Amino acid sequence: MSSKKWLLMFACSVLIIVFAIAGFNFITDPFGVFGDRFFNWYSYNFTQNPRVAKIAYLDRHHEKYDSYLIGSSSTSSLSVERLNKYMNASFYNMFMYGADIYDVEQTVKYIVKNFTVKNIVLNIGPINAEKYNKESHPLTDNLHAKTDGSSLARFYVKYLFANPNYGLAKIRSFYRDGYLPQVFDVFDVPTGAYDKSARDIERIQDLEDYKENYPVFSNYPRFNYEFAHIDDFIGSVREIKLLCDENDINLTVIFFPLYYGHYKAFNPERLEEIYSKLAGITDFWDFSVHPLCTDPRFFYDATHFRNALGDMALARIFGDETVYVPEDFGHYVTPVNVLKQVEKYQAGHVFDDSGYTIKVPVLLYHHLDETAGGSLVISKERFEAQIRALAEAGYTGVSLQQLVDYVEKGRELPEKPVLITFDDGYASNYEIAYPILKKYNMKAAIFVIGSSVGKDRYKDTGYPIIPHFGYEEAREMIASGLIEIQSHTYDMHQSADYELNTARTAMSRLEGESEKAFMQAVRDDFTRSKKDIEEQTKSPVIALSYPLGRYSDLTEALLREMGVKITLSTEPGINTLIKGLPQCLRALKRIAAREDTSPETLIKMLGGP
Amino acid sequence: MPVATFSFLLFISATLLVYFTVPRRSQWIVLLVASYVFYASAGVKQLLFLVLTTIISFSAGFLLAGVKNKNKKKFILASALVLDFGLLVFLKYYNFAASGINALLAGTGFALPVFKLLLPLGISFYIFQSAGYVIDVYRGKYPPERNIARFALFVSFFPQIIQGPISRYDRLAPQLSASHEPDFDRLKYGIQLMLWGYLKKIIIADRAAVLVNTVFADYMNYPGSIAALAVLFYCIQIYCDFSGGIDIIRGIAQMMGIDMVENFRRPYFATSLADFWRRWHISLGGWMRDYLFFPLSLSRPFYRLGKRTRRLFPGKLGKIIPTSLASFIVFFVIGIWHGASFKYMAFGLYNGNIISFSIIAAPYFTAFLEKIRIDPQGLPWRIVQIISTNFIVFIGRYFTRGPSLMAALRMLKRTVFSFNMQALRDGTFRTLGLSGFDLFLIVAGCFIIFLVGFYQEAGVEVRKALERKNWLVQWALVMAALAVLVFFGIYREGYIASEFIYQQY
Amino acid sequence: MPMEEKLLKILKELRPEVDFTRETRLIDEDILDSFDIIALVGELNDTFDIQIGPEHLLPENFNTLSCILDLVRKLQAEG
Repeated sequence: MSSKKWLLMFACSVLIIVFAIAGFNFITDPFGVFGDRFFNWYSYNFTQNPRVAKIAYLDRHHEKYDSYLIGSSSTSSLSVERLNKYMNASFYNMFMYGADIYDVEQTVKYIVKNFTVKNIVLNIGPINAEKYNKESHPLTDNLHAKTDGSSLARFYVKYLFANPNYGLAKIRSFYRDGYLPQVFDVFDVPTGAYDKSARDIERIQDLEDYKENYPVFSNYPRFNYEFAHIDDFIGSVREIKLLCDENDINLTVIFFPLYYGHYKAFNPERLEEIYSKLAGITDFWDFSVHPLCTDPRFFYDATHFRNALGDMALARIFGDETVYVPEDFGHYVTPVNVLKQVEKYQAGHVFDDSGYTIKVPVLLYHHLDETAGGSLVISKERFEAQIRALAEAGYTGVSLQQLVDYVEKGRELPEKPVLITFDDGYASNYEIAYPILKKYNMKAAIFVIGSSVGKDRYKDTGYPIIPHFGYEEAREMIASGLIEIQSHTYDMHQSADYELNTARTAMSRLEGESEKAFMQAVRDDFTRSKKDIEEQTKSPVIALSYPLGRYSDLTEALLREMGVKITLSTEPGINTLIKGLPQCLRALKRIAAREDTSPETLIKMLGGP
Repeated sequence: MPVATFSFLLFISATLLVYFTVPRRSQWIVLLVASYVFYASAGVKQLLFLVLTTIISFSAGFLLAGVKNKNKKKFILASALVLDFGLLVFLKYYNFAASGINALLAGTGFALPVFKLLLPLGISFYIFQSAGYVIDVYRGKYPPERNIARFALFVSFFPQIIQGPISRYDRLAPQLSASHEPDFDRLKYGIQLMLWGYLKKIIIADRAAVLVNTVFADYMNYPGSIAALAVLFYCIQIYCDFSGGIDIIRGIAQMMGIDMVENFRRPYFATSLADFWRRWHISLGGWMRDYLFFPLSLSRPFYRLGKRTRRLFPGKLGKIIPTSLASFIVFFVIGIWHGASFKYMAFGLYNGNIISFSIIAAPYFTAFLEKIRIDPQGLPWRIVQIISTNFIVFIGRYFTRGPSLMAALRMLKRTVFSFNMQALRDGTFRTLGLSGFDLFLIVAGCFIIFLVGFYQEAGVEVRKALERKNWLVQWALVMAALAVLVFFGIYREGYIASEFIYQQY
Repeated sequence: MPMEEKLLKILKELRPEVDFTRETRLIDEDILDSFDIIALVGELNDTFDIQIGPEHLLPENFNTLSCILDLVRKLQAEG
């Protein structure tokens, strides 16, 4: 080949490569700017660049929404569902992680100009006066050209010739994707919020444990806020306010809750300026400094409050009495009271969780016997001795519903609560334990395996098994007001000895079982269990005790979706319940009471370590 | 403007376009303008040093031509060298020296100011290049340049100013001034060389750098085997980065019709450490030989030293001692030229010692080989030599890449005393920033480089051999190279491509 | 002894395995390395009573036997 031909070939090759890149970027569309026709995976696109991909998404789907939540990443902790309920609207959470007020202003302008908008909730804070229109990475945190008015042609060319590694990464992630969100797809597409199904199921109880898992609170970063952009900040909010007034849009401005380590770094004089100037433009709800600001458990990290605090904030604004809201949480700021609000930053907050936490031990029993005791079997005599000891030590048996009410509504529990639980639903629970519980007026919860209720033979194979009580007995016990009947799965506690096929002994994936198949199995099983119990006993199922105590993020997420408010594991320990933080009811720890546990030992064990 | 950017490619294309459209007489002006634009894009302030060096060296050459008196000539040469190198030494070593002195005088209340000195891009390359010119003019090798603009182009020629090669005036300047027609062959070769260079740089070097940086940033937390692996990767990284960069530079020059000297000749095929340094950074080695090693060896003190050693040690040993000392000094200078740090001094001493020792020991060693009947010219022995040379180079790299002399020694100690073979298999590797695929690319790339090097060592012209292949094969090669570059190159976006490792030396 | 023989003797002693009468690219092909050059220059200086300086160490002065001879003659004439 002559050199001339070679050069021609080279030029053609370059052209081919150029077209190949463009085609590849168009097909994989890692930022969702071309409509993502092939993957249709907006959760991924939002994660890559929420500013760009959310606008691209809304361009096609804005009819579904009439209201918008806007702000930076903490905005995700304000629940779209609650807002929809409170305001009778359909919200979209148009938050953009890392957004500054410039991004917010440009986005509001675009939304108001192009979509139908009834309400806007602006979630901001004094920190928005720190940076303004900062330099951004041209692909991953820039605004959409439609939003900031830059050249659309250049915008599309830029994404057409983006580094193809972004597209490759999308393909790779596609094959690694699972049901729970991973680092590459953290968004819930219909609401626009972060998908926290994996984040909000972790058990949060003891403060020290929490700090160990989240070391940032023991070694809190040194922030320094000079608030160099107050006028830019105020200017942007004024623009937004004017725009809303002109277009008859209901604007709610929220200063979001902060961790006290964070606001300690605020420059006090400049803070006053921010508050006064903002109050001059619009009234706003201020949650910055609040009674829980010293408790790390209400924060995901150094600067992001949990959904739990977001729920409280919305409940406070809309006066929802069914949600626990601590006293002195949130203030409506007007020009009249604005300075009083700034003073709150100076008040020394001391950590004290005694008003909103309580220790709750949970006891675990299985089968009882008139005379003999064994490893998982307890004799009548020993059981009664233990219950008597509890009563004498001043413990009050509480129900699962009481725990839920404590956490969700802040309804107080008796001084020394104990939750007594029985797994499997043996007839002995009814015949032996129930009379004793009645005698000492102790509440308890029994977790039945749906497929064995009322049976003394193993399902299908007919092997004789320890007898289980039936729904007749269940109804009688519930009627007493002492006993709750809850789920121990319908049939996910199989016995390997009696099954013909592979036994599913716990709620965990079988070997070779796909995630999808397992999810279906869990959903089907719990739906059946819940339906049976609720139809037969007319009382709701709110809790599940895990067979063998085995659980995973996936089971927790699925059960939470299906309305299970409490799950119980078999990990030993005492639980700390926290008002307003539903995660404290996940995978409760339980103390197994055994035949060889003397009443004295039991009482000691309940006292905690 | 790093070479692995779109803007650099645009700049090159634009320069080429203008270069071949202007009247041929003015081509050199295009190059001069392009060179200054390129250099200014890295920072306008840095231009000061470039202009200063150009003026000093040009004036020295100009003055030397008009002077007959030997002492006056010497004075002019000395002044020019002191000024040129003074600039370099001040910028490079002032802070190192000042903080050293301050540490010594700590407590006396006396302290030298420590400045925030930014080393201008490629400064040592253009200072070496212009100093070589002044010395050559002094030696009467060629008459001086009469046109300062043409001289400025020789000093600043843009592809080479970043990281060499260090060109000689008599080879480069005539080519810069000549007129060049666009030539398909040269364009093709230039593009091919650039592709090859980019492959080495952004596929292999920048990828290997990920692992190297991870380990060296936290070297105390890795066992000896991982440290050794990181140094091995650094050997790969620095060769591919530096020689790849030079290939890109030579490719660009070639498209313009300008041949630049080779800077690397398959150094990892060297059979001795001295051989290695003749194949690695050849233009620096040549500069050091002509302007430091030769004058030093032939100087009066060394001559006298030689007489004395020959009397003391009759035979080969006595003759070789002064030369060894000279080479020792050269390596020491190269060592500290790399940077103001004790680790570079150690690096210089290490190389100088081994080379001097091997020269002195060579005759005895050859005799020993003959005794045990090993053919010193045979292939098996050559392989042994290549492996042992690479091993010596490998150990030396602990010093150049280690964060400090102490760090390098600590890592060496770990490699020897707590190697922990297990760490190579137990998944630690996965935590070093590279995926299995990255590793595959590096290994495959090294294999291809080895293969090409192997054929070149055997005297095969690989490019010519490929040219004789079917057009489909050639096309497939080009497409594969482009695709690999586009899809697996490490770019500034997403990944930050390392700047040229060598460009500030 | 004629000059050429003396020179060959010096070279032979330096590198016994090289055929100096046939090689024409002693420097360009790295047959003589810089250590050899320095050793050679020392011998030349002593044997022919000349002063070879760094400025004479160019490939064209050392590439062949006759080049070296020319250099020596030139310096003797100057000296």
